[in-house]
Amino acid sequence: MFDSFVHLGNAFLSLATPTSLFYVAAATFFGIVIGALPGLTATMGIALLTTLTYKLPAEQAILVLIGCYVGAIYGGSRTAILLNIPGTPANAATTLDGFPLARAGRGGEAMGLATASSTLGTFVGVFALAVVAPMLAEFALGFGSYEYFWLAIFGIIIAGQMTAFNDPLKGWIAGVLGLLVAMVGQDGIHAHARFTFGSTELAGGIALIPALVGAFGFAEVLTVLSEKKAEIASRTIGKVRPSLSQLWKYKRTIGRSGLIGTGVGIVPGVGEDIGAWVSYAAARRSSPEKEEFGKGSLEGLVAAETGNNAAIPGALIPALTLAVPGSAPAAVLLAAMFLHGIRPGPTIMLEQPQFVFGVVWMVVFATVAMGVFGLLLARPLLLVLRIPRERLMPVVFVLCVIGPYAITQRLFDVWVMLAFGVLGFLLRKMNYPMAPLVLGIILGDLLDKNLRRALLLSDGDFSPFFTRPVSMILCGITVFMLLVALAPVRRSAGRLVSMAFGR
Amino acid sequence: MSSLNSTRADLVTGVVFLCLGLAAFIGSVRMDRLSERGIDPWTAPGVVPGLLGAVLALLGLTLALRSLKPAEGEKAPTDWTKLRRLATTLGLCLGYALLLVGNLPFWLASMIFVFVFTTLLEHDPADTPRRRYRKLAMAAILAAASGIGIHLLFQELFLVRMP
Repeated sequence: MFDSFVHLGNAFLSLATPTSLFYVAAATFFGIVIGALPGLTATMGIALLTTLTYKLPAEQAILVLIGCYVGAIYGGSRTAILLNIPGTPANAATTLDGFPLARAGRGGEAMGLATASSTLGTFVGVFALAVVAPMLAEFALGFGSYEYFWLAIFGIIIAGQMTAFNDPLKGWIAGVLGLLVAMVGQDGIHAHARFTFGSTELAGGIALIPALVGAFGFAEVLTVLSEKKAEIASRTIGKVRPSLSQLWKYKRTIGRSGLIGTGVGIVPGVGEDIGAWVSYAAARRSSPEKEEFGKGSLEGLVAAETGNNAAIPGALIPALTLAVPGSAPAAVLLAAMFLHGIRPGPTIMLEQPQFVFGVVWMVVFATVAMGVFGLLLARPLLLVLRIPRERLMPVVFVLCVIGPYAITQRLFDVWVMLAFGVLGFLLRKMNYPMAPLVLGIILGDLLDKNLRRALLLSDGDFSPFFTRPVSMILCGITVFMLLVALAPVRRSAGRLVSMAFGR
Repeated sequence: MSSLNSTRADLVTGVVFLCLGLAAFIGSVRMDRLSERGIDPWTAPGVVPGLLGAVLALLGLTLALRSLKPAEGEKAPTDWTKLRRLATTLGLCLGYALLLVGNLPFWLASMIFVFVFTTLLEHDPADTPRRRYRKLAMAAILAAASGIGIHLLFQELFLVRMP
């Protein structure tokens, strides 16, 4: 315990330098702009920044990416409130009450409250990150191949189900597709080339960054340009400062949503968007002003914005300690950590404990920057929303092309980006969630190596998969989740959605 | 694009996933078992892709069977403006990334792409000539700035050898 405080202190000292503070401020601002621009998501912002920060030292690069992550999830609330379109998928629940408030001329109040709730939500999550991550890492030290196998299966099943909760089948298909994509290239045990069709490029496997830039960047460019143009709700926004009395009034909602968001964030592949929806639904259920939800309820707005930002540190917990990302943006962050030679996983608390606490401070710094920018730069940020998408998107696409190329300097990665962009666009149009696909690409290798290793260890005996304590629990939850996904319980999930949407 | 949400699309994609899964399964079964290297048969490279292929085939089949049920609700009419914009965007992006990049210097390729993209997608027949010229000038400035800016950023600052 005392060690933790020492590491926390050391991490603070090594991060609190003028350079780091400059980086975090710039990155968070960049993130807010990315999040506010419809069609540019946190995942894409982090993926593009990974290519731009490739030459920075590891700690600074991750700091920049985390700043962008925190900023983008918050920045999306601006667009949700003023344009009624979520700037990032995480702000979908924010539109329900944010936009009616803006139309009523209370946009400033809504933005101020969204800023305060996002800040408080992240702090709830970051506290959990500091406390839970070391414990989870220690617990996971006891994991063997059997447990990792179940963890991968559990991740795909639950992510597939929760990110597409009116149609888990499509979520699972996306997940399995991701796992299969990860099978392309040399296998992790014998280095045998699989599904490469004689191509040396494919033998290297399909890298995550180009795939993500395609699925979240190019696919978004296509989506945004085929949608209708949105108009700003109201030119009068009023003052952008949250009142303390209001925050105090919603203290329960903030606490509850913070905990829910963090918990949802920890679940593999299930990120900020679901964190916001679940928090929103819970707030609605327990609110005395239920009928206000969806018509401009401040409480609904608070719940959604606390829930999505709390999911950020939540999603980082499994990413750091199990190398299993809690959300799509965390998946890119995980890939970036590997690029920079950091090795997330259960041994991280033994090998690089200071890095884990460094991440805690990175989130704290980014959150402070986010709060300050959010309150001070409300009006300049309005200008961002006026940039015509026809001028923004071609530049974004040029970055989508050059970004993945810059890391490996091979055109093959540009083709991967294009292929995933078109595939991602089509799948999204047919209501397939992208998060399980991304999770699948990451978990594929984990599943592949650990299933075969486990079978080698047990000499083909399947019983340890079901008899080892942790395996048994993970298996039990997985089976339970599968059963829950069947028709009757799916109907109640549908009710949850309709409740969240205010019918 | 709402037509893509129809059960018909589910039937087609279900069959595609079924075929893809079967192909992966068959490819895995026929994959080299590396027996000459004396490896444990449980660690053969095809084990996991084979299982995943079978699962995908099963899920695809479920999707296809489920979509055989009669569709509910009316089919939304196709929005041709949307489709035309989508086709233009897709064509321009693919043309740029596959044909221009690699054959022209990156800055030039990007400049042409940004200019043509902005001009075509901002085109509005109702514009006055004056407004049209302004849009063209904006597109040219944006193209020059982004082409040269991105080139310099990556080549000079990140030391990337540009395509």
